[in-house]
Amino acid sequence: MRILYLAYKDLLQILQDWKSALFLLVMPLLFTLFFGFIFGGTLDSESDVDPRLPIGVVNRDDGNLAISLEKLLEDSEVIRPIILNDEQAAQADQMLDDGDLAAVVIIPNGYTTKLLADEPVLLDVIINQSQPAGQTVSRALETVTGRLLGAVEAAHISIENGSADSSSLQVGITEAISAWQEPALTVIIQKATGESQKNQQTNSSGGFAQASAGMMVQFSIFGLITSAMVLVLERKSRTLQRLLSSPMQKAEVIAGHILAMFLVIFAQQLILVLLGQFGFGVDYFRQPLAILLMITVLALWAASLGLLISAISRKEDQVITLSLISMFVFAAMGGAWFPLEIAGKAFATIGHLMPTAWAMDGFQNILMRGLGFESVLMPAAILFGYGLAFFGLAIWRFRFE
Amino acid sequence: MIQKAIQVQNLQKCFGEFVAVKGVGFDVQQGEIFSLLGPNGAGKSTTISMLSCLLAPSGGEANVMGHSIVREAQAVKASIGIVPQDIALYGDLSARENLNFWGRMYGLRGGILAKRVDEVLEIIGLTDRQKDRLDKFSGGMKRRVNIGAALMHKPAVIIMDEPTVGIDPQSRRHILDNIKELNSQGMSVLYTTHYMEEAQELSDHIAIMDQGKVIACGTHDELVKMVGELDRINVTINVEAEKVLADWQMTEGVQKVFAEDGHLTVLAEDSNLVLPHLFESATRAKVRITSVDIQEPNLESVFLHLTGKALRD
Amino acid sequence: MNLMVVAFKDLKRVFRSPFALVMMFGAPLLIAGLLYFAFGGMMSGGGSFNLPTTRVAIANLDQPNPSEGTFKAGEMLIKFLKNEDLADMLKITMVPDEISAHSMVDQQQADVALIIPANFTQAAVAPEQTASVLLYQDPTLTIGPGIVKDLVNHFMDGFSGAKIAVKISESAIQKSDKQADPGLSEKTAKQYADYLGNSSHAEALHIVSPSGEAAQTESRSAMIGPIMAGMLVLFVFFMGANGAQSIIREQEDGTLARLFTTPASALTILGGKFVGVFIALIIQTVILLAASALIFHISWGKPLSVFLATLSLVIAATGFGVMLMSFIKSTSQTGPILGGVMTLTGMLGGLFSNGIPNIPEIMDKIALTMPQGWAMLAWKLSLAGNGAGTIILPILVLTILGILFFGIGLTLFRKRFI
Repeated sequence: MRILYLAYKDLLQILQDWKSALFLLVMPLLFTLFFGFIFGGTLDSESDVDPRLPIGVVNRDDGNLAISLEKLLEDSEVIRPIILNDEQAAQADQMLDDGDLAAVVIIPNGYTTKLLADEPVLLDVIINQSQPAGQTVSRALETVTGRLLGAVEAAHISIENGSADSSSLQVGITEAISAWQEPALTVIIQKATGESQKNQQTNSSGGFAQASAGMMVQFSIFGLITSAMVLVLERKSRTLQRLLSSPMQKAEVIAGHILAMFLVIFAQQLILVLLGQFGFGVDYFRQPLAILLMITVLALWAASLGLLISAISRKEDQVITLSLISMFVFAAMGGAWFPLEIAGKAFATIGHLMPTAWAMDGFQNILMRGLGFESVLMPAAILFGYGLAFFGLAIWRFRFE
Repeated sequence: MIQKAIQVQNLQKCFGEFVAVKGVGFDVQQGEIFSLLGPNGAGKSTTISMLSCLLAPSGGEANVMGHSIVREAQAVKASIGIVPQDIALYGDLSARENLNFWGRMYGLRGGILAKRVDEVLEIIGLTDRQKDRLDKFSGGMKRRVNIGAALMHKPAVIIMDEPTVGIDPQSRRHILDNIKELNSQGMSVLYTTHYMEEAQELSDHIAIMDQGKVIACGTHDELVKMVGELDRINVTINVEAEKVLADWQMTEGVQKVFAEDGHLTVLAEDSNLVLPHLFESATRAKVRITSVDIQEPNLESVFLHLTGKALRD
Repeated sequence: MNLMVVAFKDLKRVFRSPFALVMMFGAPLLIAGLLYFAFGGMMSGGGSFNLPTTRVAIANLDQPNPSEGTFKAGEMLIKFLKNEDLADMLKITMVPDEISAHSMVDQQQADVALIIPANFTQAAVAPEQTASVLLYQDPTLTIGPGIVKDLVNHFMDGFSGAKIAVKISESAIQKSDKQADPGLSEKTAKQYADYLGNSSHAEALHIVSPSGEAAQTESRSAMIGPIMAGMLVLFVFFMGANGAQSIIREQEDGTLARLFTTPASALTILGGKFVGVFIALIIQTVILLAASALIFHISWGKPLSVFLATLSLVIAATGFGVMLMSFIKSTSQTGPILGGVMTLTGMLGGLFSNGIPNIPEIMDKIALTMPQGWAMLAWKLSLAGNGAGTIILPILVLTILGILFFGIGLTLFRKRFI
């Protein structure tokens, strides 16, 4: 019972400042909204937003093949062409810098003439290939130009084989480009959630699902600023020592404090799950037991981290520093901010050692992969193991003075 | 020539409806140690805050070294050194750095500042710890630096607000000796305390405060004479005081009897003459006396006489 | 002069505080470094790419007609994907059937499953037949499946193109009233295949980076610049508020009251504290600019632009911090509120979304409602090499905002202390 009383006392102290307590909920919600919106999730399930990557097109040619190229670009499922007038063309670089465009394609003067004459001619493409979007656009442009050049070649071949004259060339090109609207061989994409979209762009990551889970994981650590602080202030004010002069055992003292931290984080996670379910349309309830297990072990791990922080901190400033740094490092490296896949091999490998990466795996298995309860057992077990390790470290380093 | 270091006339301070200081008046002569003695909540710290220009008075007037606290605040501040009740120093700076800073705030610079820091460190006995951070010091050592910071600019008047609260006897002794030494060099001292012994030991004049008013003022001997050099007999009995109260009040030689639960305080001219009668009376009433303590007249008695309660209540 | 005494005392305390040093320098460089490591991992020194290896499970269900001879489109596709040029990008595992392929993805043993349909070869050659390759992917992934899809499409476009060439040739023959050639489709297909074998699609594009250079050597630095700018703005604003918080801390410690008993006026004392914050932020910004230039090879821009951006950032951060702290009554309120408000306004100001492409336009507008948004704009313009004339607007806005915030904060502090 003493453990419960101690935990209750801690909770009173933590919740005393209701503004601080409110931040535990308001912050993750706002961040979820922000990142979910940015990564393409919308609260309206039938959104009109075109998810294709925008590219600017500057057409300096007045020939038919330039028009055909624009048409092929328009038919792309990956890129969305925006025809730029002269004024916009002058600001194209700025639009790229600002992220308004993923690339700028410049169709040079004489493009059609040279292509028809089978002379080499290149499209100028301004693109940042160091970014995933740049590479995606680059490959899409290669596909489009491949089809255009293929259509021209097909038309040339048809004239050669049909002994038609060159006036039939344009007819052939037009027929070929029309045919490319329904190519013989296509790719159907099916995500493991069960949705099926023919030839759809594979860059939808379930905006709010990623953001909601990611922010839950990140802000489970944010709350340690207040809950770990209680213990540090208790040590500093010597009320911790006073506790030990009572019949309370050391183990009971630690149990009481970690219980309070666990309850705060668990309550936070639970509320965020409910808000995610009903506010952002993230389907947590499809596997409620699995989600319950994940938030429980996440709260246990975070509480053990909180105990470790309070074990090694002597002052309030240290608690804030360690909590914030932990939050940033574990969140960034664990895939809470962005999918580890986009971060490159080395980072992804190291990142997956983080306990937060396993937490993200567990949530994503349910929310995005559509898997069942058993899919969270391994991530939960590993996260629990991390919790035990942090707890052991905290006990080893804990000072009552 | 200014003769009075501090002149206080009818000083008042209200916080909304609550009147913390109700028309206080006293004078501190130059070169003397003047104590404000009173229990917690008497209004001592509020009075000090007004004299150091931290709080504007609601009424009345006061002068420090001839400067009005209302109209000449800057001049007042330059004349006084304040030792606040709580340690008001920077824990993450060393003793030397703290003194350096406060010296600069009073306009000391360069070689003069450095020399003065050395002197003050010597006065407070912390020369060998000058480079250590303050948060590593014991409570007593911090209090000494707290005093040192007030001495940097050699003020004409030093105001000390309960400087010995919560420290070990050795440090307290050190502080009291320092005060006497400073005073011997001509510094006027206004000292607030709720420790009668300190007021008794240090002061040339004492003002006793209670509930926002000065209820008595004078030298130690003058104050003690107010209770007529009466002895104070503290008696503890095993029953309620009413059993013997009336009888003891009627006993010859007894001036006053104060009672609370099983504790009685008897003020008498000569305890030797009165005690046997008190015992007889108790025996008749079948009351057992469990302890007797006799004190000669002191400020505690004065306070008790004037207010009906103990100084430490 | 007492003003500077107070300021230098505060500076001394700040630069002795491990917490302050971590938040001023350690945290921004650490986070930027993490992100540099994360996204710089996409590129190695010579500009070649270090994409993640995608695990592909392939079920080849293709059943070519014996009449098609040795032509097996499914096997050709697999051979194409297994090409050693793609070995770094793809790790291929063959599975017997569709269920096995799905299962590998579901159990996260593969990132993508490719199911080649039974009529793949037939669709590749027969005029009116079509076929679809199923790409079953892990929904949490984007890059790997995208690469596989593009590669497969690229391969299949060869067949599709050949069929289109055949179709058009047949159409041309019909229109020319020539007699149909039974070997036309094979001949046309070969002609098209020869064309594919002789041409390189990459030669259709001339790719340049936004800076105008064809090389990508500056890409990593160009990417980290805005990220580091975001961290710079975030933590300078944070330290501005933290510095202003020292007023409240001193009030609680009793040293502020003690300061007020000295001959220095209250205005001088408050002024000294604010000047201390200002100087600390200048030092912080200069060191972060220098350190990031050294570590991440960031070129911050023209000297005058950098100077103006620094000055306006510090003015805005100092003013914002003073104003924020003027609403706080005790240090117990500052922890989560300091972290919370700063992170929130930083988020709205766009500090966390640098480098993310295709952000909704409204986010840019929202960013400019925050001082951090204007600070980011100034730094982005400076990073892009713009001169003072171009960045003058955000500089002016930041400066005015900073002075306005400072005025509000000072008014409230004066009411409290004077």
